[in-house]
Amino acid sequence: MARTTPTSQQVRKVGIKAPEGGFEKVLMVLSRYREASIAVVAVVLVIYFQISNPAFLSSQELSVVLRDTARFGMIAVAQVMLMITGEIDLSVGSTFSLAPYVMVLMTISWGVPLAISALAGILLGVLIGLINGLITVRFRVPSLITTVGTLFLLQGVVVSIYNSQPIVAPVQEPFNAIFGENLYSPTDSLWSWHGLTAFSPFLWTVAVVLAMALVLNRTTFGLHTIATGSNIIGAKEIGIRTDRIKIYNFMIAGGLAAAAGVINTVEFASADPLAGGPFLTLQAVAAAVIGGTSLLGGSGTPIGALVGAFVVATLNNGLVMMGAQATVSDIYLGAAIVLAMILNVQVDRMRARRRI
Amino acid sequence: MSSKDIPAIDPRAPIILEMNHISKTFGAVTALVDVSIKLRQGEVLALVGDNGAGKSTLIKILSGFHRPDSGTIIYQGKEVRFYSPREARAHGVETVYQDLALINHLSVYHNMFVGREYHKWILGLKLLDNKKMRDLARAYLDTLGIQIPSVDSLVDLLSGGQRQSVAVARSIYSSPTILVLDEPLAALGVREGAHVLGLIQNLRRQRSVSIILIVHNYNQVFEVCDRINFLHSGEVVLDASTSETSEEQLIRIVKSGLGREAIAAAAAEIGNAM
Repeated sequence: MARTTPTSQQVRKVGIKAPEGGFEKVLMVLSRYREASIAVVAVVLVIYFQISNPAFLSSQELSVVLRDTARFGMIAVAQVMLMITGEIDLSVGSTFSLAPYVMVLMTISWGVPLAISALAGILLGVLIGLINGLITVRFRVPSLITTVGTLFLLQGVVVSIYNSQPIVAPVQEPFNAIFGENLYSPTDSLWSWHGLTAFSPFLWTVAVVLAMALVLNRTTFGLHTIATGSNIIGAKEIGIRTDRIKIYNFMIAGGLAAAAGVINTVEFASADPLAGGPFLTLQAVAAAVIGGTSLLGGSGTPIGALVGAFVVATLNNGLVMMGAQATVSDIYLGAAIVLAMILNVQVDRMRARRRI
Repeated sequence: MSSKDIPAIDPRAPIILEMNHISKTFGAVTALVDVSIKLRQGEVLALVGDNGAGKSTLIKILSGFHRPDSGTIIYQGKEVRFYSPREARAHGVETVYQDLALINHLSVYHNMFVGREYHKWILGLKLLDNKKMRDLARAYLDTLGIQIPSVDSLVDLLSGGQRQSVAVARSIYSSPTILVLDEPLAALGVREGAHVLGLIQNLRRQRSVSIILIVHNYNQVFEVCDRINFLHSGEVVLDASTSETSEEQLIRIVKSGLGREAIAAAAAEIGNAM
C-alpha cells in the first residue's frame, strides 16, 4: 500500500515537451521574440520601398515616416499597457485632439505660457483616463463600450468648442523647438540642433517607449499589470488590487494620448479638432497588435508597438511615394492587422495547450 | 514512503484551530449545519465528502471568503473573525485554491513573489530585484525537493503537478500557521499526484504547519493525513484517526453509505464518531 515518491527520473518525464515539428519551433521562437519577428517585417518593408524608390531613405522622407511613427507609437504604447490588463481605450483619438485644443485656447485666451497649458492639457488627458477607468471598473461596463462612448463624446466636445475650426498654435521658443517643431532645412547638417528637431517627435516617443518597457518589465506595477490581465481572479486571490491597476493604466493611456496630441499640434503649428479621431485610434491599435500585443490580455510589448507603429507609418508613406492611392495602403494595413492577429492568437493557443 | 515512517501526531500537541458549531445558509440552500472541526499543531486533516457536502463552504469561511451565520472560530486560543482573504492571510492562514491563482504569463520566480516583491534602488528608481527573487525561489524550491526545468520558465509551460507544487511552495514560503489545500489532486495524473502527496508528506514530517486537505476521495490521501473528517449533507458524520483506523475499515463504513445507522455502527467499531 506504500505510495512511492517519484524519483527524479520520473519527474523529468513531466514538464516541457520539446517542440516537434518545424512549424512549432517557429511559433516558439515567435512567442519568445515577438519584437524580433515584426522587426524583420519592418526591415523587409524598408528594403522593398528603398529599391522601388531610392528617395525613401532620404532624410526628408525618413523624417516624415518617423514623425508618423511617433504619433502612432506614443498612443500605441499606452494602448499596449491597457491591452495587457485586458482592457482597451478607443477614446485616445479624441483625447489627442482635445488636449492640445485646450492648451492652445488657454494660451491664446488667458496668456498662460505654453509649457503650463501643455501640462494642463496632459493632466486633462489623465483625468479622461481616470473617468474611463472608473466607469469601466466601478460600473463593470466593458472598456470597449465605455471608450467608444467617450470617443464620440469628447470628439463632439472639441468640435463644438470653436465651431470645428483649427486654431493657429502660438510659438514660444524653446518650447516649440523641443516638442516637435521642425527647424530642419536641406542646408542643415543632420547632426546639428536643427537636424535633431527633424526627429524630435520620434525621439520623444522612443523615450516614452523605453520608459514604459522599463515600467512593464522591471517594476512591481508592471508585474501587477501583467498579472491583472493574465488571470484576474488569481491576481485578486493573491491580493493584487486589480481595479486600481486598471485605472492607473487608463490614466497613463489618457496622459500619453494628450502628450502625443500636444507634440502633433506643435509640429503642425495648428490645433485641429479633427487631428485625431477614430481613425488615429484604430491605427494605434493596429500598431500595437502588429507589434505582437494580444487583445486577450496578459502579454504585450512596448518596443513591439513602436516597431508596429513604424510598419504602419512605412506602409502609409511608402505606398504613397510609389504613386499608390492613399486608400490602397489601407488594404495592406488591413491585411497586416488580420495576419498579425491570426499569428498572435495561434501563438497564444499553442501556449495554452502547452505544446511549446 | 508510507505513513508508518511518520509517528502519529502527539495527542498533547496544542489545538491550533477550532471551528465550533458553524452553520451557513445561502438563501434557500443550507450548506453547513452545526459543523465542528479541530486541528492540532502540525496535524494533517483531510475533509472528505461528495460535491455539495459543504467542504468548500467550511474552508471559505476559514479563509475569509464567507462569514458564518452562527458558530465561532478559535484560532491560536483566541476567537477570530476573518472578513477578507487578505485578513486571513495576514493571520497566517494560507489557502491554495483549486485554480491555483498562478499567473500564466509570468515566470516561476515571479509567481513565487508576486504581491510581495523584493526591490532594489537604481538611479532613484524602485526596480524589481529579479536576481534576488530568482535565487530565493530556486533555493526554496530545492529545499522542498520540487523539480522544475527552471525558475525562469513560464508557469504556463509546467505540468499540472509542477504547477500545484509551485502554488503550494508559494503559500508555505511565508511560513503560515495553517495551510489549506482545496482539491490538490483534482486535475492531476497518478504520478503528478504522487509528487504533490510527497510534498505534503514532507511538510507533515516537519510538523511545523497544520494542513487541511479538501479531497473527494479519502483513499487518495490516507497515507499523508493524521485524521479524516467525512462531511455529508453539511454535517461532519465521521471523525477517524488514520493511526487507529485501517483503510479497510473505512472502506466498509463508506460503502455502507454514511447514513445514520452506518455511523452508529462505525462509532461502535472505531469509537470516535461525532
